Order: sequence, then C-alpha cells, then structure tokens
Amino acid sequence: MNLSDQLTYWRYRLVPDHVLGELLAKRWIDNAIPLLILIVVAAIFGSLIPDFFGPANMTNLARQWGEFGLIVLGLMIVMVAGGIDLSVGSTFALGNIVALALLNVAGLSMPVVVIVTLGVGALVGMANGVLVGFLRLRAFLTTLVTLIIVRAIVDMLLLNYSVRIAAAFPDSDAWYFLGEGFLLGVPFSAALAGAVAIIAHLVLSRSRIGWHVLAIGGSRRSAHNVGIPVRRVICSTYVISGMLAALAGVLFASRLGGAGADTGIGLEIAALTAAVLGGNSLGGGRGSPAKAIIGSITVMMMVNSLLRLGVTSGANSLLLGILLLGAVAIDVRWLKNRHKVLSKVYVSPAFSSLPAAPGTDASSKYAINDRLGPVELIGLGRIDGPEDVILDEDDNIYTGNRTGDIVRFFAPDYSRQEVYAHVGGRPLGLAFDKDGSLLVCIGGMGLYRVTTEREIVKLTDETNRSWLSIIDDSRLRLADDLDVAPDGRIFFSEATVRYEMHEWPVDGLESRGNGRIVCYDPNRGTTRTILRNLKFPNGICMTHDGESFLFAETWGCTISRYWFDGPKKGTVEKVIPDLPGYPDNINRASDGTYWLALVGIRTPSLDLALKMPGFRRRMARRVAPDEWLYPNINTGCVVRFNEEGEILEVLWDRAGENHPMITSMREHKGHLYIGGILNNRIGKLKLEGADENWTGTSSYWSGS
Amino acid sequence: MIAALTRAIDNFLGRGEAAVTVPPLDGALRPNRMLDDAKSRFALEDVDDLAMVGGKLLASAGSDIHAFDPKGRWKLHFVAGSPIACIATIGNDGLALGLASGEILVTGGAFDGKSFHADAQAKCLTAMVESAGSLYVANGSATSTVGDWQRDLMEQNASGSVWRIELESGNSACIADRLAWPAGLAVSEAGITISEAWGHRLLRLASGGQAEILYHDLPGYPGRLSPAADGCWLSMFAPRSQLVEFILREPAYRQRMLEEVPQPFWVSPNLKSGKSFYEPLQGGGVKHLGVLKPWAPAMSAGFCVRLDSGFQPVASLQSRADGATHGVTGVLEADGQVYVAARGDGVVVRLPAQIAGGEA
Repeated sequence: MNLSDQLTYWRYRLVPDHVLGELLAKRWIDNAIPLLILIVVAAIFGSLIPDFFGPANMTNLARQWGEFGLIVLGLMIVMVAGGIDLSVGSTFALGNIVALALLNVAGLSMPVVVIVTLGVGALVGMANGVLVGFLRLRAFLTTLVTLIIVRAIVDMLLLNYSVRIAAAFPDSDAWYFLGEGFLLGVPFSAALAGAVAIIAHLVLSRSRIGWHVLAIGGSRRSAHNVGIPVRRVICSTYVISGMLAALAGVLFASRLGGAGADTGIGLEIAALTAAVLGGNSLGGGRGSPAKAIIGSITVMMMVNSLLRLGVTSGANSLLLGILLLGAVAIDVRWLKNRHKVLSKVYVSPAFSSLPAAPGTDASSKYAINDRLGPVELIGLGRIDGPEDVILDEDDNIYTGNRTGDIVRFFAPDYSRQEVYAHVGGRPLGLAFDKDGSLLVCIGGMGLYRVTTEREIVKLTDETNRSWLSIIDDSRLRLADDLDVAPDGRIFFSEATVRYEMHEWPVDGLESRGNGRIVCYDPNRGTTRTILRNLKFPNGICMTHDGESFLFAETWGCTISRYWFDGPKKGTVEKVIPDLPGYPDNINRASDGTYWLALVGIRTPSLDLALKMPGFRRRMARRVAPDEWLYPNINTGCVVRFNEEGEILEVLWDRAGENHPMITSMREHKGHLYIGGILNNRIGKLKLEGADENWTGTSSYWSGS
Repeated sequence: MIAALTRAIDNFLGRGEAAVTVPPLDGALRPNRMLDDAKSRFALEDVDDLAMVGGKLLASAGSDIHAFDPKGRWKLHFVAGSPIACIATIGNDGLALGLASGEILVTGGAFDGKSFHADAQAKCLTAMVESAGSLYVANGSATSTVGDWQRDLMEQNASGSVWRIELESGNSACIADRLAWPAGLAVSEAGITISEAWGHRLLRLASGGQAEILYHDLPGYPGRLSPAADGCWLSMFAPRSQLVEFILREPAYRQRMLEEVPQPFWVSPNLKSGKSFYEPLQGGGVKHLGVLKPWAPAMSAGFCVRLDSGFQPVASLQSRADGATHGVTGVLEADGQVYVAARGDGVVVRLPAQIAGGEA
C-alpha cells in the first residue's frame, strides 16, 4: 500500500462513518435536538442564576413542573392524534376554582373534590371531543371557542365565590399533601406527572388504543379505512386532555389555595411551545411522553428563570413566542428532511484493498476454458433463480426460486417439476439434515426446516444482539448458506446486517464487513453469533474432520476455515487469500476436495474504486443505481480446491451462454449440477472420472 | 471569487456543473434497433471511414483501403503501408488519405501522388473534407494520437484544431483551435461545421471567424459528418453515460485509473464494450435470466443521426446495448442507400435511404 492508501485506510478505520446513518435511522433520534436544547438551557440558566441546581430551587421547579407537565402530556396526546387543544389553560383555571369551591364552600372531602373536579375537566374535554371528533369541526377554532367560554365561566364563578373561598381555611392534611407533600423525596405533583407519563408511554407504545391514536394522527383516512373508530378515539383524547388539565388545576389549588383572574392565562401558549419544542409534531402521528417531558422541562426552566432574573413579563412572552416559532420551523424542516439526509448518509463505503488478482490467461491456474460448454439444461425457462441446488438419494433436484417456493424436479429426466413447499421469502442455501429433512436459509426470514412430510418449521429468525451495535442486529435479515455439523449444529452465514436482501449491491459498494456467521444449536434451541464483521459471508461447507468448516467472503474474495471444535477451536485461518473473483457457495466433491462457485470476476476498475471510499460514496449519491460500477457478475466459473488452498481445476463458460453467473454447484453421482441466482436454468455436467456412486448425503451421514 | 465558491458548493452538493446528467434519448433520437435490423451487412475488420470515389465505395480499415463490389464483397484497393486515420474524396476521382503520422497522401484525380501536411505538430487527423480546392482537416488533439482518444477524453483535453490546406499551393492555415477533440467536418455556404466530441456539440465557424453553437448536449460523442440528400449524417462513435460523466468529475480516481488500470478495462466510452470480463460492469448490465437488457447502460452503442440543413436531428439509426453494430465511425449516403461503418463490430451495414428516415 502506498502512502495515500495508508492514509485513507486509517481515515476509514478510525472514523466510523456508518454510525451517523444508523443513528439517523433510529426513531429516538427525533429526541436528540430537543434534548440538546434542554441541556443548553439548563447550562445557561445554571450559570446565570446562583444556586440554580440547589435543592430548594430544584424542588420548587419540580413542583411547578408537575402541574405544567400534566397539561403538556394531555396536549401531547391530543396532538399525536392530529388535533390541538387550546382550552387547556381555561380548563386548568376551571379545575382550580371548582376544586377550591367544592372544598371551601361545599366542604367536601379531598377524594370527592378530586373526582368531581376531574369529572368537570372531562366534561369540558367531552364538549371539545364531541364537537371535533363526532361533528368534525376544526380543532383549532373549536378549542379556541371553548377557551373563551370556559374562561367566561371561570370569571362568573370567581365573581360569585372568590370572597367565600378566600374566607375559608380548610383543615385537611390530605388536601395539602397534594400541593405540598413529597413522595419518596419527590414533590407529589412531579411524581404524579412522572407516573402519568409512564402510563401514557406504555399505552401509546404497547396498547391497542395507543396504536390507534398514533395511526389516526399519522393518517386519519387510512386509520378509518382499516376500521379504527376514528371519531371515538379522537373524542377520548380530548377527554383525557381535559381531565389532566383539571388535575393540574387541583394541584395548583392545593399549592396556592387562591383563585385569581389571571390563573392559567396564556398557559395554552406555554404548553403548546413545550409540546412542539419537545418534538411532538403539530401534524400528528409523531410524539411521545418523553418528548412532552423534555419540552415541558425546557419551557418551565426558561419561564421561571427569566422571572427570577427580573425580565419583565412582556419580554417573557415575546421570548416564548419566538421559541415556539423556532420550534415549529425546526419541526417542519426536520420532518421533511430527515429521511433525505438519511438516504444520503446511510451508505458509507469503507476502505478495502484486495490482494492482486491472479490472471486468467493460459499460464494461470485459473486459465480460461470452455468446459461448461457441454452442459445439459434442466428446467430452462421454468425456474426463476435457482440459487442453490441439492439432490436427494433418489436423484430428485431441490431448489429455491424467486417467488419463495422450493421446487422439486423429478428424476431421471427432470422434465417434471412440482412445488415441494411454499416457504415464502427468498430460499437460498439448502442442506439435508440427518433425518432427511431439508434445511433452508431464507433471505428475509431466517433458518427453516422442511420435514419429509413437507411441514415447514421455523428453526430460528433471531440471534443475540451485539451490545455495541447501534442498529438492532438481533433479527436475521439475509440468511444465506448453511451446513450441518456431525452433532446436528447448523452453521449459517448472514451476508449483511445493514441491508435487505434486494439491496445486496449497496453492501458490495460499502465492502465494510457487515456480515456474520451464526450457529443454531437444535439440541439446546439456542442461536449465537460466532463470527462478525465478515465481508458478505456466503458459502459454508463442513470439512471432513468434523470440527471445522470452510466459508467464503464474497466481497473479500477469500476462503477461510473456522474451527468450532477440537484443539484449534475458535480460530480462523485463510485458505485462499486471493481469488480472481467473488466466491459464492462451497460444496464437497467426491474425492475429498471442494467445489467453489465464483459468481463473478473482479475488474481492475472496481478494485481501484474499493481503495477510494469517498469516490464510491459520491457515486452512490449522484449516480443512479443502474449506472453504478458493479462487480462483474456476468461471468462466473466453478473452481475445485483442496483444504490446503490449491486450485485443482477450473470450469468456465467462456461466452456466458448458459451460466453467466454461478452461485452454486452440487456434485451427485458423477455429475455436477449448477445454479445461478439470476438464471432461469439448472446445468448438469458430466464429470469425467468422478465417483459414480458418490452423493452428498452419503458423504455427510453414512458414516454415522 | 463568487464563481469559485459556487463551483465548490456545486461540487459538494452535486449540482450545476457537477450534476451528472445525460440528455435522454427522445424525439428524433428515440431508441431503435434499425442498425441491427438492417438485412445487408458486410463484415470488414476494423473498418473506419467511408468515401465515394469515382462511383466506387471505398472503406479504410487499418492500413488498407478496400473497395466494395456490387456483389457485396470487399476487395483490397490500396495499401498505404501505415495506419490510416481518415479519408476524403478529392474532386470526383481523387482520394486523400490522412495517415497516423500526420501526413496526407492523395491518390488518383488531379493531385495524384501529392503529399500535404496541415502542420508539423498536427498528428491526430480525425476527419477531412474537400471543398472548392481546399482541404479542411481536423486535428483531434495536440498531445494524443488518434488511437488514444479515450486517454484524451479522460485527460479532458481541449487542444484540437482545424486547418485549411490549399491543394494547389500546399499552404495551410489554422482556422480554429482549442477545440475538445474536433472529430467531424462539413462545409456549406454558411461556413464550416465542426463536431466537437468532448463538448458534445456542433459548432459552425462562419467566414468571419465567430463560432456559433448549432446543437449542444448530444447524448453521445459526435464524430464524422457527411452530406446527405438534404442535410447531413452525423456518426456518434460512443454513447455518453452517467457513470462516465461522473468519472470525468472525479480527478483523483481518473488519474489513478489511467496509471493503474490497463486501457482496455477503463471506465470509459468504447467502440465495443463487453469483450472481456475485466471491463467494468454497471448495475443495469447484469444479465437476468440469461438476457442482457437492451436498455442496459453500456460503454458502447451504435448511433448515427440524420441532421437537416439547419443541423438539427430529424431521425437516428441505432444499435442498443445488446446489439451488434456498435461504434459507428462513418456514414455515407449514395444512390438512395445509406452505408454505416460500425468499427466496434467491424461491419458495414446498408439501408435504403427512405427507411433510414431522411423524411421522418
């Protein structure tokens, strides 16, 4: 490697470019900006106000936040369903005066006061809900009107009761506990708001009604079309919002014990700012209690601290207004551009320097020939994409196709075929287990078994999640090829954890090593990842010692050997470090050596591009995928090699007539059967001098 | 300053000049396979340029001139001894041969046996045309040879020139320079029309000396021009592609490619691609179910365009990615027939002029 390659190597080794894309793909990344704002706000006021983080100030803030947080949570629920509730400030004031009147004038006990006040809040919410949900009025105007009407009611109540409220002094510890008590050292109101937030989180993320709310916010019409009772759900979100606002009013009443004309004035703007600042979308469908909490803490902190700093209340409102505008702008831009940014940064090619490719001229061990010329064609035009082929003891051929079937061709002439089993997904690697059942790796699904009674059994579709992986790599995305150890353990490759099956060219463009090898142990029912960071691991084949297997890395152009048992357990050794092409499946040959399919041949132009990740990244962004530089998979060949990595023979289809790309080959009774994932035929080639009685199944299972 | 800044931003975002776009094949250039469907095909290895001399169709191939007999066979007509870069008819029965050495030889006609030079440095003769006693010669590049056109494109040179040689006196004068590989010439009363290959455009040089752009942003690299019944034929020797446009904006990759990758396997337009599996493959070129799609992006194609008297396209003859008439370097219309020389596939195809779409 020259100096500039060295620099590029370390640059891409040390900076994990792919992390940014994976972070942006996470749903919780929406909270990143609001959280950052919260931290900045806390830092600014923490440094401006002495003793800001002291217990007295914190307790005071937390208590006030509890009340405010409840209102924001209620508003958040309405917003998630695609609505808006401007009447929360008035409802809060109504809750305050109703609670005080019930307690001081009517002389009711605390629990009754709370329940009745909540009922009043629910009534206001119900009025909103019926108007918006069932009569389908505009949420903004309707709740604006409710705001005015409820405010008028509050004023009327104030006129009648304020003197009598002020005159009485209730003697109830339970009542004062609401506003002044502590629960486990936390102010009661804050603890209550926290509990409500947790419940709301569980409901929204885990329950049917919560999903209904999110679905309606995402698309009201689609929600209606799938049978969600849209009107009822919307109505109930307003009821909940009204109840939470009234509850906040109760807490406020208990804390201050007085009713004034300015209670709750402008609270709706503060609550709205908090909700939007937290990242709850004004358009609905996107929001969470966590966002509501982040936003409400930020706003609470600002409003309070500005007051303490002596900023006049006019300037305070101005600042809040500007903040709301800013938050809305960020919300809109973020929503619109996040997936655009994601699509630009997710693909992050890595540096990959392949060893010099051996030539294919006459003097090379890979010398080109036409030995695949006399191939006999099976199922021409009647099979779409036989990735792997396998034969049973009765010489029938099994293969997967593009539409998720396992197709069986009947011996001896293979002119008849049937769908042996419809498994779905994209059936790839095949192997026979000891009991004669067919094990199959299905792209997009996982590892499955088709029993001799044609019953389809899922063996595994997930493995252990790696701790440091940002994307969830527990689910199997692209199980590729497999083989069975003598004790029944199944080792299979998963080509990539970053892309779906049909996106394999993008993984090739990255050439990072996104793949892994996984072991499924049927005796214990466990699935464990045993090798990581492989460059598109593909074919897997057991060696004859019963304690190791060979595996191919397609984008790495190597064959390696892994020991899963015995004295060398856990070690990996390169068997062929420099293939001239991209290896696919590996299978046993009758003489104890191995067959290897090369799906394509390396091109010097792509080998060079692999050393220039920036070039590939720009290509991925600017050039249409159909125009990308691809690995040349229009010409492949079959290679036979031994455990020492010596190349013993090579079979080419020079013109690419029948087998432009080869993904698998299987020797069976003196013939080689050849498949290709983008081909529409299976080739059968007579092997001169091969054992006419040798079969794969007997090689694996006759010894035991 | 602002222009440089704009360029830097464009380059970062892939906009403006840095956008890799190729005009779609539409209108008169709508894809067809008329070159492949042509019934009359006459194989001639490495055929390059065509000329009609004394009623005989002549074709240059390698260092030889072949004559076409009416039975459809090629006969060796003249041996030049060194590679021929282009040919042109002089008068009615003379033939000028532009050699790779830069020398111009004339056989037959009034100037038989004479030899000319456009300039001592002009060694990359791409096209010639004779008009009223003057021979106009296009010199593709000051640094590359004719066979090295891919390198000249990859180096993004614009060092070509056009010369006028008085056949009587042998005097020559440069009439245009700093052209990006001028590859075709046509003389008319309005001036001399030049096809500028790397600029993908047709320029007209009026007698006053100003250049006028007649057509710009062609979807291929324009080559030689030849007269038609009412207008002109333009052969486009290779298609443009998004990937190549992208590579032309990637100096680092391009430089290493020129140094480290053997020339036949460059990511570069070609007269015939897909001959070796070491050539680059693009996504759409992957064979599905054993078939290469005709719309596959390819480094070569067959392309010639019929232009009207205002040099605007009216029809085209094409051979698509899966075709066998790639790399059109010469077109000649005579006696109601159109002859198309496809150098990439080493074949001359013949179509009746009315089918070829002169009236379309």
